[in-house]
Amino acid sequence: MADIEDFRSSVDPYGFKRTENFDYDCYEQFMSKYLSVLARRRSKWERILGMKANGHVVRSNKIKRYVRKGIPSVFRAQVWMEVSGAEYHRRSNPGLYEAMRIACHDKDLIEVIVTDLDRTFPDNIYFQAETSSEKYAKRQSLFNVLIALGQKNQKVGYCQGLNFIAGLLLIVVKDEEKVFWLMDTLINDLLPDYYSRDMLGVQTDQEVLGELVKERMPDVTRMLDAVGVAWALVSTKWFICLYCDVLPTETVLRLWDCIFYEGSKVLFRVGITLVKHNRAKILNCRSFPEVVNIFKESTNDKFVINCHQFIQAIFSEPGSLSRSHIDELREQCQQRVVDNKHH
Amino acid sequence: MSYAYLFKYIIIGDTGVGKSCLLLQFTDKRFQPVHDLTIGVEFGARMITIDGKQIKLQIWDTAGQESFRSITRSYYRGAAGALLVYDITRRDTFNHLTTWLEDARQHSSSNMVIMLIGNKSDLEARRDVKKEEGEAFAREHGLIFMETSAKTAANVEEAFINTAKEIYQKIQDGVFDINNEANGIKIGPQHSLTNPGMSSSSGGGNQSSGCC
Ligand SMILES: Nc1nc2c(ncn2[C@@H]2O[C@H](COP(=O)(O)OP(=O)(O)OP(=O)(O)O)[C@@H](O)[C@H]2O)c(=O)[nH]1
Ligand SMILES: [Mg+2]
Repeated sequence: MADIEDFRSSVDPYGFKRTENFDYDCYEQFMSKYLSVLARRRSKWERILGMKANGHVVRSNKIKRYVRKGIPSVFRAQVWMEVSGAEYHRRSNPGLYEAMRIACHDKDLIEVIVTDLDRTFPDNIYFQAETSSEKYAKRQSLFNVLIALGQKNQKVGYCQGLNFIAGLLLIVVKDEEKVFWLMDTLINDLLPDYYSRDMLGVQTDQEVLGELVKERMPDVTRMLDAVGVAWALVSTKWFICLYCDVLPTETVLRLWDCIFYEGSKVLFRVGITLVKHNRAKILNCRSFPEVVNIFKESTNDKFVINCHQFIQAIFSEPGSLSRSHIDELREQCQQRVVDNKHH
Repeated sequence: MSYAYLFKYIIIGDTGVGKSCLLLQFTDKRFQPVHDLTIGVEFGARMITIDGKQIKLQIWDTAGQESFRSITRSYYRGAAGALLVYDITRRDTFNHLTTWLEDARQHSSSNMVIMLIGNKSDLEARRDVKKEEGEAFAREHGLIFMETSAKTAANVEEAFINTAKEIYQKIQDGVFDINNEANGIKIGPQHSLTNPGMSSSSGGGNQSSGCC
């Protein structure tokens, strides 16, 4: 995709309209360097994938390292399917997607999904209502995937946020059934209970992020407390949308490379890195709206546009983040969330 | 920019009723027919003038889908005003008002001013809830009521400003304890009151960016 891209185009390679204040100079500067990175990564991946006749990717430290350095867009769908386990689920359940898609659906489920179809990426050329040509007909696919997913996961049904994830996956993966299985794997294997009725998983992880920031930057926590900014305010969309519609598209995809391999822990790494990078600015704030603005801007600046450097940063800047520590914090925070609800 | 008071508002109501469009119309004076749905909470601000005083409105636009309730509930606390919105073309959204109201009353300060809004009044042909029904509901529950259109801007200014007037009146009457920020009211920085050069524009649209 990127190699034939016009850096000055008002639409990005994934069909998103660029914002008015998009920094083209900064982007062009970055891309001119990033292209050679992409070429190098591509030849490395070709060597790995070329050796396997069946196209299987087996999880290993080498693959993990490769994934962190970025999956070339031509291989993205295939590698996501393989390393996440979605491909395994797909093969184990032949015909299931189709069955879920054409099943008799709950009327309310249909209605809530339909309400959100034209509110999903209204600025993306693939999702605009006016365009009727087949190339742009992703809306129907979006409906199909979401309804099938709700049918299969009745406890989740449909939760806002899933529309954005499905939307971007459809643009990148271009195959409804694969998108269905990738999402099913996210919901059931990779993320802890984010899309259930009360979003307990999201509420918990927001608190966990708060704790992780407090351990590393107590001054930031004091500042947020002083002006009354809660983590739920700044980070709800980060978790629910997995930073989609938050960070620049290319950066989101590089991040999703890691999520499909490593799971939800990476989401904390991104949050901590964003805070750390903007720490001085946050500490300089004197009011609530100023802080909220810093967080808004932090997801669209030079630092995050340079996706290659940014992904390197998320694995170095937050320092060590052990699974056992996360588990422990999740347990504590979940208790806190549940207790809070009862009074 | 200086202000005499800051009022905190929250906008609540079912998904798709037009909360974000109302906020955008109020802060930016434009209608975006295809607005992104809201995940969690968004935030906007604008200055208005009441009784010659500059008042800053800090407005929280919440996500309407039910799953988000547990997250958005925490924002009721510390709000001086609430806009409770339904869609006049979808009866469901009207039927859910009681639940919204219970939620709001339970989690907010008892003095919070609530404005009931029947939005999308431009879609008269598709009307599903009569204006009288909205009025009756408001009367019964002690709310102010208005029908608005975020599309044509009809009554949008009025909805936000009348809510502020009501809050302002309560302050004059001594009902609100303005020293308790949990009521959603803040007194502006003292020095600003003595700065005459700033007290011009009444309600020029300016988004949250960098004032305060
Ligand atoms: N005709 C008309 N359409 C409106 C009006 N207000 C909103 N809409 C439409 O209704 C849709 C939903 O509006 P939003 O502002 O996104 O709804 P919301 O209440 O913020 O929804 P959530 O963020 O999901 O809670 C938009 O796509 C608008 O096109 C109005 O006054 N008139
Ligand atoms: Mg909204």
